[in-house]
Amino acid sequence: MNERFTGHGAEWRDSNLTPGEAKIATSWVELKIDRRSMLTGKDRVEDVRDAMWQLEKDGEIVVHRVADEHEPVIVKTLYGWDKKIPTTKLWHHKSCGQCGNIPGYPASLLWLMNRLGIEYLDETDQTSCTAWNYHGSGIGNLESLAAVFLRNFHQAYVSARAQGLPDAYFFPLVHCGTSFGNYKEVRAYLIRSAKLRERMRTILGKLGRLVDGKILIPEEVVHYSEWVHVMREKIAGLQEIDCSGIRATIHPACHVYKMVPEDAIYDDNILGGNRLAVSTGVMQALGAQVIDYKTWYDCCGFGFRHIISEREFTRSFAIDRKIRVAVEEARADVMIGHDTGCITTLDKNQWIGKAAGKPVDLPVLADCQFAALVCGAHPYKIVQSHWHASSTETLMEKLGIDWRAKKGEFLAYLEQVKEGRQENLYDPRRRITSGPGFIPIAKAA
Amino acid sequence: MSHATSTRVQQHIGDPVSGKPPVPQAKLEEIFKDIQSDLRYDHELNGCLNCGICTATCPAAHYYDFSPREIVQLLWTENLEGVYDAMQEKIWACAQCYTCAARCPFGNSPGGLVMLMRETAIKHGMQSAKNVLRPFSRVMLKLISTGNQLSPDMITRDHFPDWGPNVSKIDAPLKLLRQAIPMPTLNTTATAWEVNLKTSIELYTIWEETGVLKQLETIDENLFDVITDIMDEKREDWKDFLADQDDQGGKDE
Repeated sequence: MNERFTGHGAEWRDSNLTPGEAKIATSWVELKIDRRSMLTGKDRVEDVRDAMWQLEKDGEIVVHRVADEHEPVIVKTLYGWDKKIPTTKLWHHKSCGQCGNIPGYPASLLWLMNRLGIEYLDETDQTSCTAWNYHGSGIGNLESLAAVFLRNFHQAYVSARAQGLPDAYFFPLVHCGTSFGNYKEVRAYLIRSAKLRERMRTILGKLGRLVDGKILIPEEVVHYSEWVHVMREKIAGLQEIDCSGIRATIHPACHVYKMVPEDAIYDDNILGGNRLAVSTGVMQALGAQVIDYKTWYDCCGFGFRHIISEREFTRSFAIDRKIRVAVEEARADVMIGHDTGCITTLDKNQWIGKAAGKPVDLPVLADCQFAALVCGAHPYKIVQSHWHASSTETLMEKLGIDWRAKKGEFLAYLEQVKEGRQENLYDPRRRITSGPGFIPIAKAA
Repeated sequence: MSHATSTRVQQHIGDPVSGKPPVPQAKLEEIFKDIQSDLRYDHELNGCLNCGICTATCPAAHYYDFSPREIVQLLWTENLEGVYDAMQEKIWACAQCYTCAARCPFGNSPGGLVMLMRETAIKHGMQSAKNVLRPFSRVMLKLISTGNQLSPDMITRDHFPDWGPNVSKIDAPLKLLRQAIPMPTLNTTATAWEVNLKTSIELYTIWEETGVLKQLETIDENLFDVITDIMDEKREDWKDFLADQDDQGGKDE
């Protein structure tokens, strides 16, 4: 008898299953992976919004509602729960990584909103969610994250006062995936913990950020990709450039759908409801070919701390587990994402592949950037493709966009900017709603 | 909530070969109690059968001596010395993607537990935390003093040589390129967007009230000094603004 070490103890016996029986016995593993792998434990997951409404009824909190005037669209989440996505009167809660590093990301989103006649406010009175730093360093804590969340969302609630409009006029739209995941997690803890709410009443009270002496919690935490998703058919109605020849891979962002997974959007008509619907939905609506690849489930390698101080991990993971697979297996023309850190990581970490004998070159864009591009947005003025290290030019060539001519136009436009004649997506006066530099609308008009 | 007691803990720990003094039992218990006392602990840890799904899907486990399964097991079995050891290096390998949390059949969040351990490592001023966070100080300086975590002037070829030459494919001064972004809030270089002074002042109150400045002081005293100086200056600016407003109000009357 061959000596074997199974590590299971002397009582271990082989099952002696036939190959067919073995397949039946283990097929559930594949099912779990292929069919909404996060359905495990569904019965034990509560919808925190139920508890939220009860807290409001008990006089503990005030809920900032997605009201009729926000023209909501109802979508289904992982467990088939309803989620209300506001489509207009939106307060842009910006992403520090997008604004600092990929400015065409928010600019494309606002450009699409302008084209669709969506009302919004982009203002200076907001902080980062602080969650990138928290997840990277551990500096921060549940209380600081909760206070920042409540403070920023309270500002969204009162921001329209500067224009002489009522409270609750604008509803916050979160740009960053990390902010989105973090805020949803924090909201759940606020709803569950009376102690945390009490602490927040004290802190937010000092800031003057309570509503009738109560903390304000949003009915929904909404990510911009969810807005793009519910508006995808209207966006497709603006389309000027055919993209049916484009092979697109999607990178779903971990903090968008793995963190608080019960709140992520799934649609039976998109990938059979097996995977996150956002981004794939808009790419399909635009007519691009969405191509599967085996590492779709992997993260990008961002790591929060790693992209700053352990970059060997970040770039190795990004190249080997994402970009190379998308290029070699899916023969992708572009990788589309919907989060700050992912776009940065996947875009910036390709160049170094040459040093390791792994040259890769795959354009990386956010879903709203791609959408804006095929809807006729200027590749440099609006999509700001020059901030992308990956070869967005090859994608533009496949789309039939003469990027050299567009680049020439942008260089000429820079001369105009030098003279202080830049073009803006909205009236700059609206960006300041109080404090230094604030000009009341009545005076400014 | 359970308490920091265990039947598995040895009286002494440490490397018997090196003769290094063991970490006192009381210290181990204090550290573990700090991790356990966070209200998230019971939500993030529900049980563990060692199935290893978390580690199978963990990106950090591909590259580091790190296993989310091990982290969960150490906490679940209240292995205080193992928890302490993991806080020296392993917890900093986690990429915080929460793939583990999405997959765990028990609904555990190993990534979330790692955060509680990181916070505790900082609270106790562990040298490991200080070493690991030194390169992160630029982000912390930016965040705590301005409310933004990243700014355009942080993305340079010097800081990210491995990102290649294309910081921008248009060769023009950063300031001009930022002015050419069609969102007026983004015409900045030192912050990702223009931050209202009032916003920063409110944020400083949050840092003070929630113990974040205390964390910072524990981990990097020099950075703490720099940041508190900036905070003082901005608070002076805010006072001046309010005084001007009062003067203006008086004139209007």
